[in-house]
Formats: sequence, structure tokens, C-alpha cells
Amino acid sequence: MKDKLIYLTKQSLKKKIKTKWFIVTNIIVGIILIGLVNIDKIITLFGGDFDNLVNIVVNSDDNTYQNFQETFEVLANSLDNSYNYKITKADKDIETLKNELEKDDDKVIVDIKTDEINYLTASIISYDELNTVSKQVITQTLDTLKTQRGLLYSGLSEEEYLSLTSPVDVQITLTNPKAFQGEDVEVIRTLATTVLILPCFFLINMLVQMIGAEINDEKSTRSMEIIISNVSPKAHFISKILSSTAFVVIEGLLLIFYAIIAVIIRNIISPGSLVDAASASEMTRIVEVIKDTGMISYLLRGLPLMIILFVFSFLAYAIVSGVLASMTTSIEDFQQLQSPLMIIMMLGYYLAMVSSAFNGSVFINILSYIPLFSFLLAPALFILGQISIIELFISTVITIIFALVMFKYGLRIYKVGILNYSSANLWKKLFKSMKKEN
Amino acid sequence: MQMLKVEHVTKYYDKILAVDDLSFTVNDGEIFGLLGVNGAGKTTTFRMIIGLLDMTHGSITLNGQKINYDITNQIGFLTEERSLLTKLTVKEQVCYYGVLKGMKEKDILVKLDYWLKRFHIEQYKNRKIKELSKGNQQKIQFITAIINEPKLLILDEPFTGLDPINVEQFMEVIREFKEKGSSIIFSSHRMEHIEQFCEKLVILVKGQSVLEGNLSLIKKEYRKKNIHVIGDVDKKLLEKIDGVIKIEENANEMIIKISDETVIEKVFDVVKKGSNIQKFIVEEPTLNEIFLSKVGETYEG
Repeated sequence: MKDKLIYLTKQSLKKKIKTKWFIVTNIIVGIILIGLVNIDKIITLFGGDFDNLVNIVVNSDDNTYQNFQETFEVLANSLDNSYNYKITKADKDIETLKNELEKDDDKVIVDIKTDEINYLTASIISYDELNTVSKQVITQTLDTLKTQRGLLYSGLSEEEYLSLTSPVDVQITLTNPKAFQGEDVEVIRTLATTVLILPCFFLINMLVQMIGAEINDEKSTRSMEIIISNVSPKAHFISKILSSTAFVVIEGLLLIFYAIIAVIIRNIISPGSLVDAASASEMTRIVEVIKDTGMISYLLRGLPLMIILFVFSFLAYAIVSGVLASMTTSIEDFQQLQSPLMIIMMLGYYLAMVSSAFNGSVFINILSYIPLFSFLLAPALFILGQISIIELFISTVITIIFALVMFKYGLRIYKVGILNYSSANLWKKLFKSMKKEN
Repeated sequence: MQMLKVEHVTKYYDKILAVDDLSFTVNDGEIFGLLGVNGAGKTTTFRMIIGLLDMTHGSITLNGQKINYDITNQIGFLTEERSLLTKLTVKEQVCYYGVLKGMKEKDILVKLDYWLKRFHIEQYKNRKIKELSKGNQQKIQFITAIINEPKLLILDEPFTGLDPINVEQFMEVIREFKEKGSSIIFSSHRMEHIEQFCEKLVILVKGQSVLEGNLSLIKKEYRKKNIHVIGDVDKKLLEKIDGVIKIEENANEMIIKISDETVIEKVFDVVKKGSNIQKFIVEEPTLNEIFLSKVGETYEG
């Protein structure tokens, strides 16, 4: 019987993997994932009206123009943004320049006036809305120029001015030794939660559909009778659970593989950058924060439990889906019957996504212990620091117990359900079967 | 010697009685017929034999052993409806069921080639089941049932969807299995198939056995016979014979139904007085006639 179980599991897995649709789907998923990571490169590859040239014409006296040019270049270079700037001094009157804007929509006029009261006033004139980055750099340059003029007239030293205008230095100290400190921690936790939850949600969805379709196929073609006349319903049930779980694990690993390929391709296209040039330093900062705050060791400590929780949740979903599929007589019936399961999964997904906004919610915390919800909620809450590793452990143990109990009673229903072709008195038959020992 | 033994088997679906106190035995090298109209309980009986359904009462044993997964490798089962995974190819399908019967894939492939050739469908080996005609699908299903050379072969309506030539081909193979010593249980709602083919039978009506035993003995015990006569014979004289039950005329042929063998000579004496006699044949009664006399209504198979 063990050989037959292995054979059934292998066949079931082969049926899912050795199909052109599996290959086609994975090629599409791989391409989309790689494309998403490299979407900006793809957009620029196809060209378009984004030469990113900003032609700044400064209408001012020579000295102010000189200062503007120097300060702007320093600021623009420090931001390392993707725009190219050309700065020139106005050689025409302001009205003529304004009239020319329609023909030359890259042009931006910066009209600067200086006086002893306001030190410096300016207008930015462009035909269309100026991009945010350029607007910011011009505004900062003008602020700097105004400060320089202010210092010149007030007689304050630069140090005095900086001391006067700098924000209050507030030191935040948390006395909880387990808490992580730093403003980026929340962002990183939310990011990690999303990265973890989305693929799991996607994989469980696949698992439920797949197991339902396969069992219904065997039932509707009556091949179930031949199979069950040669292998026990228990072996058949286990084979379906194992093959479906193995399938989602393989699909999950493939998703990780595609993500790695996507990052490698991105690095080949633009070495040294992960997201884009502007945010490269941001990524480095995030990595540093993860290292400095000890989040890596925190995540690694919970990882084994999370993996166990995921695997047993996959098994629990497979068991529930298998039982539901055995009760139905067509794939249409299964689609209807699995709706509550989908809603449970959707609710878990939604709550996990918003859990960072409801820190300490008793409702979400309780749901994180309930099987079928817990695989999304418990890891999310753990990463967000809302539950401890002990609570994660309890969630995992509850899911394991749930999976085992579901298997014991589900098998009794399964045994009756797979050979039942009538929906008459279905619930009565199933409840009756639950009472019967295998 | 007794291979399959069904003893006082009863099956209830809730309060509905599907099979009522059914008993029979099938010996090695015997073809056993289970006859009944749709809903008579044939498929339920087969499902209980194979272990797909639990019986309410009774017992079923194979060579004295309760049928379980330890011995199902010795059984071949052909279901009434197509039980093939239509997305698989013929080769994949036969291998799949063969391995579930405990066979090795290489052995299955050797046997598969033989049977495909035997049924003249070797060109379909790598074709998907769904691409085959109903008749060819039935052949594949039959091959999956016999691929393990079963000791007990259960065939639920095996000739469904087959033309007479293929029915004959199936019968030939089934007879070969009988010669090799396999026990064969065979169901049909068609009386002529059972009559042609089975040595022993049970006729089920609403789950109850109304007629059972050795077919030739049943016919012999039934006593009534039919005499077919072609010629110019005085019908009135025949009707006066004690023991002549009824005379039917079919074109130029007379079918004289008699009560027992002793009447044959009396009929012959009358017939030989006639002229232009071309035919005088004494035939056993048909199963349908026996059924009619036992049940009181015609069989609606």
C-alpha cells in the first residue's frame, strides 16, 4: 500500500506539473515578475518623450545668477536624480521669454528679485506643471540664496544661523529590550509582511482550486471507483494532500527563483542599483537599519516556526478542500462550496495587511490563533512585533492539532463522499459518516 | 474450489432496500451472470464485492478470505460507466490502473502492446482517451480490467456501446480467461447475452433473486419446450393434443409450446401426417419465457 501511495502522489504531482499549462503559466508568471522588478527600464527601453532635460533660464543680476548656478549644481548632484539640467542667464525680457514657453516646453524661467527687506523673492514660470524633483531643487537653491543674503545683511555668522534654525534634537528612548528603535522599522516590517503574505495567499488559492479540480475530475469520470477498489480512501486522501502541498511548495520556490532572476537581470542592466538610482541609498539605509536593529536575528528566530505554520496550514487547507471536493459531484458545486473558505482566506489576508494600523487589536490577536487565519496573521503580527515567539509557537501548535483532527474526521467524510454521486441527504450522510470509525 | 462466495447479502440505502438476502457462489473457471433491469441491484452487488460499499448484512469472501486491499490485486473490475481519466493517453491510463493493481510498468507495457494489437487499436497507444470513440474507450476500459490477468473478473455491463463484432471479440477474451481458470461475474440487462454466455446466473428483481442456478438445469427443470415446425400441418389436430399449451404462427412457421418432453412424440405423430414438412426442431425455452413464468411479467431488459 505504501508503494501505491507513493505512486499516487507522484502521479498526482506529475499531472499538475508535467503539463504544458504549468510551463506556460510559469513562463508568464516569471516574465511578469521579472518585468515588474525592471518596469522602469522597460519603459525607458521603448523610448518616448522623457529626455528629462530641464532648461532653466535665470532672470537676475549677474552675481545672483552666479550663486544660483553654483548652489543648484551642488544640490542637484547630491540628489543624484535622473534629470539633466541646463542653466542659462536670461538674454531677453521676461515677457518675451514667457511667450516662447509654448514652443519650448522644457524651459523654466526663474525670475529672481533682490531687495533689503525681503532679501530675495522669486517666480518660477513654466508652460506645463514642473516635475516635483526639479521644483524642489530650485526652491532649495532659492532658500539657500535667501539665507546667504540674509546673513550678509543681519551680520549673523553661519553657525549662529544654523543653530537658530535647526530643528530641536529629540532623543527617543524605548526601555523595552525587545523593541526595535528607529523610524524605518515600521516601514521595513510592513514591507516584510507584504512580501510574506502575498505569495502565501496566492499559493493557498492555487492549492484549494487544484485539489478540488482533481478530485472532481476523478469523481465525475468514475475513475474514482477503480482507484478506490485498489487503494484505500486514506491512501488516496493522503496522496492528494501531499501532492497538492508539494505542488505549492514547488511553485513557491519557483516564485523565489523568479524574484532572484529579476534582481540579477536588474543588476546586469544597471549595476549597483536595486530599485533605481535615487532609491539605492534608501535601500542601503534599510539594510543598515535591519542590521543595526537586530531584526534579522529576530526574523530568523521565528522563521522555523513560520515555515512549520505555513506547511501545516497548507496541509489543513488541502484537507478541508479535499473533504469539500469529495462532498460535491461537479466542479461547479465545488466552486460554490469553497466560497466560505475563500472568504476566510480573504479576511485573513485583509487583516494581515492592515494589522500594522491596528497595533494591539484584541480581535486580530485572537484570530491569529485560529487555524486557517493564523498562517497569514500570526507571521504578520510577529514581524510587526505585535506578538511574541511564544504566541507564534502556540498558533503553530493549534494549527498542527487542527490539521490532525481535520484529517481524522475529514477522512471519514472523504471515504463516504468520494463514492457518493447524489446530493440528496448529503449533510445527513456526512454527519453520519463522521460518527463512524474508519 | 469455491472461489467467490456471497452469503445472505443485504444492502439498505437508508430505508430503501437495494439488495435482499442475496447468495451465490462462483467457482474457478466459471462465468456467472447477474441479470436484472436497471435499478435491480446489480451494480450495488458488484460494489459490495469489490469493497466500495459496506453491506448491511451478510458476508462476501474470496477463497475464504474477506475481500480487502491485500487481495484486490487479484481482481479485475470493469464499471458500468466509463471510468477512465479522459485527459490521459491510453498508455498512461493503462499504466496508472496497472500500477494500482500492483504491477510493474515494464510488464504493463508488454501486456498493453499485446492487447492493443488483439483489439486492433495499437495506433491509439499514445492518443488521449477523450479522442477515442465510445467503442474504443470501452476496449481500453476492458484492457485496464484484464491487464493484471485477474483471478476474479467483475464485468458490469461490458458490452455497452459495442457493435456485435466487438461483442464477439470481448466474449472470446472472456472465454479465454475462463479457460485459464478465472472466475468471471458478468452483469447485463440483455437476456440474450447472459443466455449465450453464462453457465450460472441470478436474476434480480428489485434487489431480490427471482431465479438462480445452473442455466442448463434451470431450462431442464422448467420442462416446457418449444417445437418449431414448417410444413402443411393440421393446426386443429395439434391443438387437441394434451400438453400443447399454445401455438404461435410466425410467417410460415408454427411455434408449438408444450408442457413437457412427453408431448414431443405426440406432436411428431401429428406433424408426420402432414405434407411438405421442411422443419421439425425441439428447442429449450428462452430465458425470457422462464422469467415470465416465474415473475408473472415480461422482462424489460
